[in-house]
Amino acid sequence: MDVLLCSLLVFLLGTLTIVWPKRLELAAHYVGMLCAIVASGMTAFSGLRYLLMPNSALLIDAKWGSYSLIADGWSSVFLVITGVAGFFISIYALDYARGYLGSRIRALTGMWNLFLFSIVAVLISGDAFTFIVSWEIMALVSFLLVNHEAGKKETVSAAYQYMVMTHLGTAAILVAFYLLGSHSASFAFADMMHNQLDGVMRHIAFLCAFAGFALKSGLMPLHIWLPNAHPAAPSHVSALMSGVMLKVALYGFGRFAFQFIGMDVFWYGLLVTVVGLISAFLGVLYATMEVDMKRILAYSSVENMGIIFAVFGCGMVLMAMNLFPLAVVAFTAAMVHAFSHSLMKGLMFMSAGAVMHATGSKNIEKMGGLIKKMPYTAFFTLIGAMALSSLPFTSGLIGEWLVLQSFITLAQQAGSPELRLLVIFAFILLGLTGATALGCFVRLYGTAFLGCPRSQIVDKAHEQPFFMLLGMGIAAALVVIVGILPDPVVNIMQSIVAGPMTAPMGNPLGIIWGGSGRYAIYSPAIILAVTVLVTVFVAVSLLGSKKFERRDVTWNCGTYPTSRQQYSATGFSKPLRRAFGSILNPQRHTEYIRKEHDYFGRKLKVHLEIPDLFTEKLYKPVQTWMISSSSAFRHIQEGSVSLYIGYTMIAMICVLIWGVL
Amino acid sequence: MGYILEGLGLNIVQALVLLAFAPLIAGIINKVKAFLQKRQGASVLQEYFDLRKWWKKPTILTPHTSVIFILAPVAYFVTSFLAASMVPGFLAGQVSISDAFVFVYILALGRFFMTLSSMDAATSFGGMGGSREIYISVLVEPAVMLAILINSLRYHSTTLSSMVIDYDGAYFTVSAALACVAFFLVILAENSRLPVDNPDTHLELTMIHEGMTLEYSGPLLTLIHLGSMLKIMVFLTLFGALYLPLAVPLAVKILFGAVLIGVVEILNNKMRLFKVRVYLGAAIVLLLLAIIAE
Repeated sequence: MDVLLCSLLVFLLGTLTIVWPKRLELAAHYVGMLCAIVASGMTAFSGLRYLLMPNSALLIDAKWGSYSLIADGWSSVFLVITGVAGFFISIYALDYARGYLGSRIRALTGMWNLFLFSIVAVLISGDAFTFIVSWEIMALVSFLLVNHEAGKKETVSAAYQYMVMTHLGTAAILVAFYLLGSHSASFAFADMMHNQLDGVMRHIAFLCAFAGFALKSGLMPLHIWLPNAHPAAPSHVSALMSGVMLKVALYGFGRFAFQFIGMDVFWYGLLVTVVGLISAFLGVLYATMEVDMKRILAYSSVENMGIIFAVFGCGMVLMAMNLFPLAVVAFTAAMVHAFSHSLMKGLMFMSAGAVMHATGSKNIEKMGGLIKKMPYTAFFTLIGAMALSSLPFTSGLIGEWLVLQSFITLAQQAGSPELRLLVIFAFILLGLTGATALGCFVRLYGTAFLGCPRSQIVDKAHEQPFFMLLGMGIAAALVVIVGILPDPVVNIMQSIVAGPMTAPMGNPLGIIWGGSGRYAIYSPAIILAVTVLVTVFVAVSLLGSKKFERRDVTWNCGTYPTSRQQYSATGFSKPLRRAFGSILNPQRHTEYIRKEHDYFGRKLKVHLEIPDLFTEKLYKPVQTWMISSSSAFRHIQEGSVSLYIGYTMIAMICVLIWGVL
Repeated sequence: MGYILEGLGLNIVQALVLLAFAPLIAGIINKVKAFLQKRQGASVLQEYFDLRKWWKKPTILTPHTSVIFILAPVAYFVTSFLAASMVPGFLAGQVSISDAFVFVYILALGRFFMTLSSMDAATSFGGMGGSREIYISVLVEPAVMLAILINSLRYHSTTLSSMVIDYDGAYFTVSAALACVAFFLVILAENSRLPVDNPDTHLELTMIHEGMTLEYSGPLLTLIHLGSMLKIMVFLTLFGALYLPLAVPLAVKILFGAVLIGVVEILNNKMRLFKVRVYLGAAIVLLLLAIIAE
């Protein structure tokens, strides 16, 4: 029997822990998580097996009547992403989710397995029906997981917001499937590849598919559920949602773009790129303003999905220009960045969970100096923060470098003025995004882990149990390994897009992109070698110089420094808040608690709020309009039965008259 | 493999050469400023003496600091050194480990650790410096990206060594002149010079780079100063090799750039922090015009 189908069965076995008796709660949790670990490993293994032997037959090609499961190259990439992330997050969850003992832990663990099951099922669906059913299971299970801490009011509202939004997305995807399926032989993907859809209906199908998948991957302006749902969910669930579920949306969009709709229309790619770039910049800008650790990470997911979609769109534009050999770099970039994001965002959500576990808070303004209390977590988080700032020697720069090379490739092919404008726009936004991301994670790490404690919650913080550290450690190690030796990952991703025949971009020295005249090269291993050489030299001479003789208090203009004098996270992002004030529109309310004199003896309470641009400008007006229009209809809804019978009679008479005419 | 290692050796030698002359260039900038202020000023070799003095002093650490505080100066110096080994410079035939984007992100690595360390000492001034550094880096980054874009469009590569001004072609164009001016504005902002930051003052309210280094002393301070001198040197080399459309040897161009920085610093005041976005907006607009004129 196929390994992949086995893994599905093991996931289902893990789901059964829901019905275990309550006194075996802890055992149920361990068994369930072990099932998830084993099955994730099997998923990753079977995906990898296909990727390493691309000429082999399809991974699965099982048919039951009109329903089928098929795994091709495009699925396999995402199977690996799911398997790897599922593996290390499940290991982490072995210890992390024990915090939910006594509060429906069996449901949590069972749903966790079902969530992974549904993701895998989406990835290997071979027809529209199976796809939509698995997609819906994924949406519902993730809703239940987000809603796990249903005692909190904000959790419930976040979960229901997520529920509504995700179903809007599903509706859009259904329309796209309907349009495509009704113009092909059947709803099987193999038949839909040869659909006869064209003209305006094809544009509508594209727009629906894009809207549906963009919503699931949190692109602006459809992202509003994301920064609420991720913080509400238990941390391992946020890690899986952000690391994997968002990529599943990319999988779906990729399948539509590659196989069903095609990329020959120029503005398809243009639209995707522009939406992606705007999401990238605004996402990271909002991330830099937040003080809730998980909201920062959630907005950063909006940013990274934006970059991934932007570069995917760049590839679509190149395809529309009939430059397939050049488009390869863009699609490879999208997939490498997706893989790398699943690692680093999984890692960061896990460390956010560790910090919450240790301090009981998500608010970085209350932290500080955690590096001394939890050194291992701090070390792994540093790697995650470096990766999300796309710094060298992490997987972050591999993706980012390929993204930038893709846009340079597009720039060199840009003949028309509007394309040139797009490229300039892209580089300005990518530059802003990259630098702001660095600022965002310096701010996060600097406030939470460095400096001195800002409140008592830090005092009781402690290092995390073994399996949590192991999960984070695996993710951090993968981030660094991919960052230094990128060639296997890059080559595999490239071979999926371009077929095994093209010259691979990766070699043991790094990545070489030769698609546009002279080549560009990034070789992290060589740079690392130089870095190690110079660092060792500097370290030796530092140690040879005078020792660090004294530890003494900072000069603080004659007073003893207190922890409240250090920069707060809100203060740290003040210059950016002001520079981009026209976008962010920060609302500051100052309240005088005590005011005896204009200049001293005052006690203020300052409340700062940054409303989401799209919530304010798009969703609220729509909501107001809907409420006001439905209250207009209320006048004819008096609630008396005789009136409704009257309405029915009028309607019948109208129908009769219409029939006669 | 062999040729890459050989090229790598040359790159390291070049970085060492740039490192050796970096304090001299810093001294020359100071001398130019002194001359224009009708002062005699310190010797051009003064920076070497200062570095030696700092290296000999002990380091005092504040109690809150963690390992990041010690790591940061090392990372800052090492990234400057790496950047110096990447720029297309004096040595011919070097194999490029020198992609422009990698160059940008190597410098970002140094900035990452410096801004982190600024928050490590738990003081107001450090955080203030770090916060402003981030603010300026965000505004500079689009200009840097456009500067790379324009040269990679012209020379069809993102490798720094293939972006060097090609004197065989029509090198003195409107586009090249605009890019040259814009890149000079970027240099001033990236290296914390006037009018963006004032390298001479320790006044809390104005400082950016100095704010971050306030808690450092001894050998760690030496590393930071050497790193930032080297960074100026690297940017001047880049300015000379890539953007200054004059057919003179690179060393002369670097000297010219240093004198220019001195002159600009005398003629300008430090601008308000929130005016910097107008200043860097100007650099972006110049680069946009350069791309259109290309």
